[in-house]
Amino acid sequence: MTMSWQLDAEAPAGRGTTAKRYRLGNGLTLIAAVDRRAPIVALQTWFRVGSRHERPGATGMAHLFEHLMFGQTESLPPGEFDRLVERTGGESNAATWVDWTYYRLSLPARDLALGVRLEAERMQHLVLESGPVESERDVVTNERRERVEDDVDGWLDEQLMAHAFTEHPYRWPTIGWMEDIRALSLPDIRAFYRTWYAPNNATIVCVGDFDEPALLDLIAHHYGSIPSAQLPEPSQVLEPAQTRERVVRAPKPIATDRLLVGYKAPGQDDADWAVLEIVATLLAGCPSARLYRRLVIEREAASSVDAQLTPFRDPSLLRLAVTAARGHTADEILGVIDEELALMADKPPAKAEVEKAKAIAETDFWTSLVDVDGKAEALGHYEAALGDFRKVNSLAERLAEVTAEDVARVVRTYLQASRRTIVIAEPEHEDAEDEA
Amino acid sequence: MTTQPVRAAGPLVIVEASSDTPLVWFDVAIRGGASSDPRGVEGLHRHAALLARRGAGRRDRAELDETLDNLGAALDVGVSRDAVSVSGLALSRHLDSVIDLAADVLAEPRFSDEEHARLLRETPQVLDEIRDDDSALATRWFDWLCSPGHSYGRTSLGTEGSLTRIDRASAVDTWRREVTADNLVIGLAGDIDDTTAERIVTRLTERLPTTGRAPIAVDVAGGTPPAPARGRRTILVDKPDRTQAQLRVGHLSVRYGDPDTAALAIAEAVFGGMFSSRLMQEIRVKRGWSYGAGCALRRSRLPHWFEIWMAAGIDVAGPAVALTLELFAEYAANGPTDDEVDFARSYLVGAMPFHVATARQRMQLAVRDAVFDLPPGYTAKLPEALGALSGEDVRAACRRQLRPDDAVTVAVTTADQAQAALAAAGGGTLTVVDHDEY
Repeated sequence: MTMSWQLDAEAPAGRGTTAKRYRLGNGLTLIAAVDRRAPIVALQTWFRVGSRHERPGATGMAHLFEHLMFGQTESLPPGEFDRLVERTGGESNAATWVDWTYYRLSLPARDLALGVRLEAERMQHLVLESGPVESERDVVTNERRERVEDDVDGWLDEQLMAHAFTEHPYRWPTIGWMEDIRALSLPDIRAFYRTWYAPNNATIVCVGDFDEPALLDLIAHHYGSIPSAQLPEPSQVLEPAQTRERVVRAPKPIATDRLLVGYKAPGQDDADWAVLEIVATLLAGCPSARLYRRLVIEREAASSVDAQLTPFRDPSLLRLAVTAARGHTADEILGVIDEELALMADKPPAKAEVEKAKAIAETDFWTSLVDVDGKAEALGHYEAALGDFRKVNSLAERLAEVTAEDVARVVRTYLQASRRTIVIAEPEHEDAEDEA
Repeated sequence: MTTQPVRAAGPLVIVEASSDTPLVWFDVAIRGGASSDPRGVEGLHRHAALLARRGAGRRDRAELDETLDNLGAALDVGVSRDAVSVSGLALSRHLDSVIDLAADVLAEPRFSDEEHARLLRETPQVLDEIRDDDSALATRWFDWLCSPGHSYGRTSLGTEGSLTRIDRASAVDTWRREVTADNLVIGLAGDIDDTTAERIVTRLTERLPTTGRAPIAVDVAGGTPPAPARGRRTILVDKPDRTQAQLRVGHLSVRYGDPDTAALAIAEAVFGGMFSSRLMQEIRVKRGWSYGAGCALRRSRLPHWFEIWMAAGIDVAGPAVALTLELFAEYAANGPTDDEVDFARSYLVGAMPFHVATARQRMQLAVRDAVFDLPPGYTAKLPEALGALSGEDVRAACRRQLRPDDAVTVAVTTADQAQAALAAAGGGTLTVVDHDEY
C-alpha cells in the first residue's frame, strides 16, 4: 500500500459492505467499498462541478464535458476510450446536474486497472480541438431538442427553475440554453477543463470485487503525480426570499393541461429536508397518498401525480407534477392541492400515516443499495454534493425520526402559495393561430 | 439458483437467494398476455390485470393500497405481449403479509363495477400521454404497422374503439381462465431461503385451480399467420411544432431462442448495440444528427421486430433515413467483418456478469426464459453459443434474417417541414397520418 494515502472516514454501505474514504496528497479523494458478490466493479469519478459553476451566457458548459470527456486524449485516438471499455464488456456513461458531474465505468473486475488508467488519462490529457467539439455541440443541440423542445415535461422543468430562481445559478438548465450551447467558445471550453478537472476537485468511488490495497497502489500510481489545481472560491449566491406566487402559462401540442408547481425548500443537508421527503411521500409517493387519492381516484381530475424533493446542496424545490384528466383544468387541480396542504398544515397527520411514509423510505433506502452501481452513486452523490458520503446513512436516520408534528410544521413553513412557482402547459387550440 | 421443473399441476418456480439487503422481490408471470386479447378487444388483458389489483379478498382498492403502503411494500401488475405479471417488493420481515395480499389478487380479485367503469375512463388518458410523448408515439405506430396482422402488432393498451368493447364479464373470465396454478411462472429473489420460498409458493397458489393442461401459448396471429409485409413503406405521423423526427425503421424478424439468436446478438451489437456500433458512429459521432442511434431485436416468445431508432433534427430527417437504409442494406448483404464479430463477441461475453449480478436480475432472466419456453439457463449460457460462432456464421444470419427491402419507416415529426425530404429518402411509399388518429 502506498503510504501517501490517509484513511479519514469509514461507514457501512449496506449489509456486509464498509465504505472507506482515503485522501491522497494532491487532494484526490477515494471512497472504496469491497463487495465480492459478483465479479464486477463500479468505478465512478465525481467532479464537484455542475451547472451552478457556470456563468450566464456560457450555460451548458459542464454538461458539454459529459460528452467531450469520451473523446481524444494525448494517448488515445478518437473513439478509443469507448472501444477499450466495450471490448471488456463494460459500459461507460456520465451524468451532469447542478452540483456535480460524474463519469461512470461498469467493468469486469479483472479490468479495473484499465478503468483507472483511462480515467486518470482523461482527467489530465484530454485533447480539445475544434472538429470534435463542433460534432459534440451538434449532438448536444439534438439532445436538447429531444429532451426539452420536443418534450413537454422537459419544457415544464426548465421553465420552473427559470422562474423560481432569480439570482441563484439553479435558474438555468443543466443542458444549457440553446443559444449558449451554440456560442460556447473553444478557449472557454479549454479554460473550464483546466479549472475544474483536477484531483483536488474529484472523488473516485469504487465499489465491487477488488483488493483494496492493490486499488490504493493502482490509483496512487496513476494519479499521484497529477498536480492539484487552484480552484475558484465556492459560489455564495443567495437566492432572495420569494414573497409572492409566480405563474407561467404557455400553449403546447398536448391533450390536457400539465402542471408543475415548485415550493421553495431547503438544501439536502438541512434538518427539514428529511421531513419534506416524508411530506412528498404522503402527498404523492404511493398509491394511498393524499393527492393521488383525491385527484386521480376520487375526483378523476388527474391521470398522474408525482412529488419530488430535489436533492441539491443549496435550497431548491419540492415539486408537484400533475397531468390533468380530460375535461379538467390545472386551476381546478391547484385548488385541490391547496385544500390538501391546508389540511396537513392545520392538523398533524396520524402517527400511522407518518409510519407508512417511513416504511416506504426504508424500502427505498435498501433498494438504492442493491447493486454496485447504485451503491457507488449513493456514496458519490453525498460526498460530491454534501461533502460526506456518510450522510447516506444519516439521512436514513433522520427520516426515521420524523414526527407528525414535524410534518405539519414544515408544511406551514415551506408549502405556502407565496413561496411557489407554477408552470402550466395548456393544449393548443386549432383556431389559436387564426386568431393570432 | 433453485429451479423447480414444471409439474403436472403446479407452477414453475425459480428462487434466487441473497442476503445483500432485507428485501424480497417476487414476480408471478401468467402466461398468455396481451397477444391473446380477442381481436377487436385489444386492451382486455391489461384491463383485467389492473382491475384485479384494485381490490381483492376482504379489501377494496383503498384498503389494499393502504395496507401495502403501511408495509413499505409495492405490488404492481404489468402486461407484456407474452404474459401478465403480478410483481412485488417487500421488506423481508413483512414478506408473509405482502404475499397474502398478492395471493388475494391472484385468487380473489373483486372486479368491482365501480373500478371497472373508472378504469375504462382512465385508459384513454394513457393514450393521450403517449400522444404527448414523441418517442412512445413512434413506438406505438411502428408496433402497429411493422407487420400488419401479427399478434405483436396489436396494442396491449387498446384503442379508443377497442376499449369500448371491454366488459367486466370478459375481464373476469380472462383472469379466471388464465390464473391457474399450472399456467404460472413464479420467481422469488432476495432475502429468502428455500423453506420460506416453498411456503410462499404454496400461499400464492393454494387457492388457484389447476387445469392439468399445458400452459397457455399464443401463436403468431391467433391461428392464421399473416403474409409477410413486402416492400418498403414510410408512415409520417404528423405532429405540429416538432424540431426533430422520432424515427423507427425495421421489419419482422425471428423469435428469441431461434437458432440464429446468438448470431443476431452479435449482428445487433455491431450494427447498433454499442457506442462503437456502426449506427452510432455514422449518425451521431460523424454527423451529429441524433443524440442516439441504435437497433435491437425485440426479445419475445414469438418472432418480433428488428428495430432501428434515432431522433434526428427535423432538417436532417430525410438524409438520416436515407443513410440508415443505405447502411442497413449494405449490412444485410455483407454483414460484419471478422474483426467486428470478435469485438462484439468480446463485448457480449464480458457484459454477461452485469446482467446476472444481483439475485433479482438472475430471477427475472430465468422467469423471462421460462415464459419464452426456453430451456433453463438459456440466456445465461448464451456466451457459450457466441464463442462457437464464426464470422461467416454471423454474416449468413444477416443475409437470412435482415430484410432492408421490406423495411417499414415511422417518423413522428411535422409534415410541413419534413415530408418532402422523407419522401425522397428511399423508404418507399409515404403515407401521412395525424398523430392522434391511433
